Amino acid sequence: MRPFAYATALSPASAPQLLGDDGRYLSGGIDLLGEMKEYIAEPKVLVDVKALPGLNQIELGDKLWTIGANVTIAELEDHDGLKQAFRGLQQAAAEVGSRQIRNVATVGGNLAQHSRCWYYRQRDVYCLKRGGDTCYAREGENKYHSLFTGNTCISPVVSNLAVALAALDAAVIVQRGGKLQRMTIAELYAKAWDNPTAHNSLDHGDLVLKVELPVQGRRSSYLQASEKAMFDWALVSCAAAGRVKGDRISQARVVLGAISNVPHLVQAANDLMEGKVLDEPLADKVAGLVLDKAQPHSGNGYKIPIARALIRRTLMQLKTSP
Amino acid sequence: MPAWPEKRRWIGSRATRLDGPVKVTGAAKYTSDVQPEGWLCGMILRSKWPKAKIRKINLDKALKVPGIKAAVLARDGERTVRYYGEELAAVAGASKQACLDALKAIEVLVTPLPFVVREEDAREEPAPRVWEESPNLSKPSVNEKGDVDKAFTECAAVVEGFYTTAVQIHHPLEPHGNTVSWNEAGVTAWSSTQGVFSVRDGLASHLQVPQNQVRVICDYMGGGFGSKFGPGVEGGLAARLSKAAGAPVKLMLTRFEQALAVGNRPSSFQKIKLGAAADGTLHAFEFENYGTAGIGSGGATAGGGSGVELHAPYIYRVPNMRVKQSAVAIDAGSARAFRAPGSPPSCYGMEAIMDELAVKLNLDPVELRIKNDPSEVRRKQYRLGAERFGWKEKYRKPGTCPGVVKTGVGCGGATWGGGGNRRARAEAQVNPDGSVEVRCGTQDLGTGTRTLIALIAADTFGLTPDQIRVEIGDTRFPYGNDSGGSTTAASVCPAAYDACTKALAELQERTGVSDARGPNWPAACKKLGVNPLVMPGQWQEGLSSSGVGGVQFAEVEVDTETGFVRVRKVTCVQDCGLVVSKLTCESQVNGGIILGIGYALYEERVMDRHTGVVLNPNFETYKLPALADMPEIDIVLLDMPERGVIGIGEPVTIPTAAAIANAVANALGVRVPSLPMTPARVLAALGKTGGPA
Amino acid sequence: MIEAKPEEGLSVSRRAFLKTFGVSAAAAAAGQLDAVAQELSNADTEKLHGPGAVPITLNVNSKTLKLELEPRVTLLEALRDHLGVTGPKEVCDRATCGACTVLLDGTPIYSCSKLAIEAQGHAITTVEGLAKDGQLTPVQRAFVEEDALMCGYCTPGFVMSVTALLRKNPHPTPEQVKIACAGNLCRCGTYPRVMKAALKAAGVSTASNTEVISYASLA
Repeated sequence: MRPFAYATALSPASAPQLLGDDGRYLSGGIDLLGEMKEYIAEPKVLVDVKALPGLNQIELGDKLWTIGANVTIAELEDHDGLKQAFRGLQQAAAEVGSRQIRNVATVGGNLAQHSRCWYYRQRDVYCLKRGGDTCYAREGENKYHSLFTGNTCISPVVSNLAVALAALDAAVIVQRGGKLQRMTIAELYAKAWDNPTAHNSLDHGDLVLKVELPVQGRRSSYLQASEKAMFDWALVSCAAAGRVKGDRISQARVVLGAISNVPHLVQAANDLMEGKVLDEPLADKVAGLVLDKAQPHSGNGYKIPIARALIRRTLMQLKTSP
Repeated sequence: MPAWPEKRRWIGSRATRLDGPVKVTGAAKYTSDVQPEGWLCGMILRSKWPKAKIRKINLDKALKVPGIKAAVLARDGERTVRYYGEELAAVAGASKQACLDALKAIEVLVTPLPFVVREEDAREEPAPRVWEESPNLSKPSVNEKGDVDKAFTECAAVVEGFYTTAVQIHHPLEPHGNTVSWNEAGVTAWSSTQGVFSVRDGLASHLQVPQNQVRVICDYMGGGFGSKFGPGVEGGLAARLSKAAGAPVKLMLTRFEQALAVGNRPSSFQKIKLGAAADGTLHAFEFENYGTAGIGSGGATAGGGSGVELHAPYIYRVPNMRVKQSAVAIDAGSARAFRAPGSPPSCYGMEAIMDELAVKLNLDPVELRIKNDPSEVRRKQYRLGAERFGWKEKYRKPGTCPGVVKTGVGCGGATWGGGGNRRARAEAQVNPDGSVEVRCGTQDLGTGTRTLIALIAADTFGLTPDQIRVEIGDTRFPYGNDSGGSTTAASVCPAAYDACTKALAELQERTGVSDARGPNWPAACKKLGVNPLVMPGQWQEGLSSSGVGGVQFAEVEVDTETGFVRVRKVTCVQDCGLVVSKLTCESQVNGGIILGIGYALYEERVMDRHTGVVLNPNFETYKLPALADMPEIDIVLLDMPERGVIGIGEPVTIPTAAAIANAVANALGVRVPSLPMTPARVLAALGKTGGPA
Repeated sequence: MIEAKPEEGLSVSRRAFLKTFGVSAAAAAAGQLDAVAQELSNADTEKLHGPGAVPITLNVNSKTLKLELEPRVTLLEALRDHLGVTGPKEVCDRATCGACTVLLDGTPIYSCSKLAIEAQGHAITTVEGLAKDGQLTPVQRAFVEEDALMCGYCTPGFVMSVTALLRKNPHPTPEQVKIACAGNLCRCGTYPRVMKAALKAAGVSTASNTEVISYASLA
């Protein structure tokens, strides 16, 4: 790592001030320190945001749950209430990294994390996302990469939480320029669709403060397919949510992760499910719509059948999940 | 002729590992933990070009970084580097941070050159030549027997296949590295090594210092798997930095460097054709293989343990055969011997084609093995293992398992040499207070060498293992051979036993006590007065031998929608002669199987053809099996004490991937022809690429 | 994206922020406000430390130790290179292997991915801090008895993860052991015996998976 100064922010207002032009926020540190050790990020200042008051709580409400940005992934994983009310989110949390990572990684950090593309993360390769000229994955090794993108970069979004939260219509409260912005998950990542150098829509200085989960009486589920049984990035991740009454589903969402630069959902697929009997033929139709226009590269076409299977399995899980 | 004691209380027991307590408390000091007074941190600058002419390296700015005490070039003058990660220079400083900053300050003037990093690309002409004077693809060696073309026409069944295996990286958890102190008093190196004497001699030669001025120490080390012989470039650099800085320099590699520059198992691309009579008797065999050992391959270089050559037709004997092997050089780090060099890929390819033959002839795969296996030991192992595994109950015709998640079973057999090195020495010291020391210049890589010596001494003297102080890993001790080839136990145990039996005889002679063992020990030793008894010993005939078999069975389940393979069970039946320490022996078996699981399902070094870099120089994307990936492992050790100590480290990793691959093929009804069998490859074999037409 | 509603404050003053996003219970909120207000009035606590070496105080195995370190020094490096606490090992330095696992206030973390400067004010426990008076803990004893170690380089990390698990959950299922140990890698092959050792330390004995059979006895 390059030398840097370290400061602890005690209020959201002072955090961006301490940051300056050349700083990065330090939360759990798993992503940031990894980038810094490879000299991909070379901030001159690290602003520790873990002491910001009130951001480490999970607050239960009748209409809304609030999860502070400094809540650790382990706290999500272990939260009994969450297991019941937002099972899909809890399942997504349980699959993040290892226990040692979950003990320090935060909700805010997980959402804001940077690309895991092995060209982006390679210390000696200056790829398109890092400001260079070429997306090497396109003509190179792309088994882990996107099936959908709005630009030349095919590095997929890998946050498990983003996928589960998108299915639950969550919003993220971000402090930007002294004001508070509410962003949907789609808005949080929209910039990465068009802009190859963007990992998400956060600008320098933006501070994720909390996540809001509306209480809508929906069941939710999350599954991912990986190469190893545990502690492995998803090849494809999938979250589903919906209101299930009898054998019918409404207010349904299906979201895919690790296959697009943004959490991937197709409104037509969600609309199709409204009021229908939740069964495998419906799930397969949904998958067809979700994966329509997928553009595989030389090495990642296998993600399509996996995605189809995960869509069916997460939807079927809604029949029995809380 | 010496023989192991008839009555064995500690040899063959479940005594716990001698160094267990120091390891579980963090008290054991590994090479990376050693911190001599005034030690400095050392770090290497590596080439970020896969191929380049290095014109000039300027260390001036690096030397000015605060805390830096020395900087040296890896080699003087203009030179060509041939892989991403090749050593350019090194620095030593008061802290890791000083070294990191110094590396960034080194200026390198280069002319990048065309490179090639994939075997398929390197074979083609014109590909950039790795070694200018030779083509990348070596001339094939050809080995023929009988009349293979005619023989194929005589076969009732002929099967063909093309199987590939990937480059596997050793990745011992403790990186390569040394702490070296080089001053007027000589060279002292604490080395993470499988051969303290190989490091001593390597350093002596490289530094042009007499061997008797070089001492190498390795008390505890964190694994090697074949990659840690000799001082390596990093050892020489640490020594030169130490001399220049006037202080000890600790230079340990990082995980990133481990993935580039300190060895790997070569890849293989095996084209196999096998023919047999209707009853399954093998009749014709044709085999063509190429693979890469990186820059250690091709026309210009030698092999030596890291070679690309496979053993074909592995354990089988076929009267008519043609075997063609070549190696292709690429601009990548050179291979090094890796736990059973050449054997896992050989076994994988051969057992795959055997299974294809079994299917074609409608014969049971285990019966086909038994019919053709020339080893009586292995035939018995197949029978015992099949019953224990439940082969008859579990076996189904390929692909007939119903449902999305399909189960399947497979098997494979292995052979290995092992055996003892006659030059192994040891020394036993009996003190007047009855305490015992046994010394040997060997290493314990986690294999349990320390414990074996203690058990042998305990049984010889009628004591308990905790009364024996075992000292290893120092070139000041009697010579012990390098820990490779599964020869350590068979070398060191006879040597230690010889020293102890001679010490016992000498003690009895000197003191006039006719049987000094056990309860008589303290009184007998007291009679030594003030002089301890020191007795040298050496390897003796009759206590060890070589040649083992081994078979493994695997049961898998495959999710045919996600391509995910889960190994449910592995049954291993292994002989290794006399089992000296049950616990450590069994752990070796676990270890070999787990390495085989990684080879079968997860591990491959990925090179990028456009930039020439290693894309997965970390444990995030070079995936090692973890606890959650473990199957049920069932081990049968076949005790053959009359054969003496043989060695078990390598045979047990040979057939694992073969058995798993066969189990996957059995489950799916199609062959996944490449290792590792990742979900992408499994789905491709099932025709589910979902990709562009 | 939607601008936050006016009542949530257009400009976020510290107190307004705390009122909106603080803990819901009034008493707790008041307590927090007081504590934070006190801190806020102390200008020192938001100051920049470094980039050069700064004084750092670490509580390691119940000892208070003072160092001078740059902010970029990790806890792992501080422990090993500056304090001679070499139990935690450097294997990957990238939060992928667990050999550097220590307990921070009883919680297992990767010390390679925690800055030393961040670890101040927390109780750090390494493998050296487990055994009392030279007696191995039940977890350590189980590792030795079950031979859940070979070269031993991964062992301190596994011992920490299993110790933390059993302190939190004295009767884990095998699945829970897998989860607790998912972040620890081993190359020598100790996993089956780590599982046995963890269960043994939890009071559950498991069947042996090995048998020694005399070859001479085979037909």
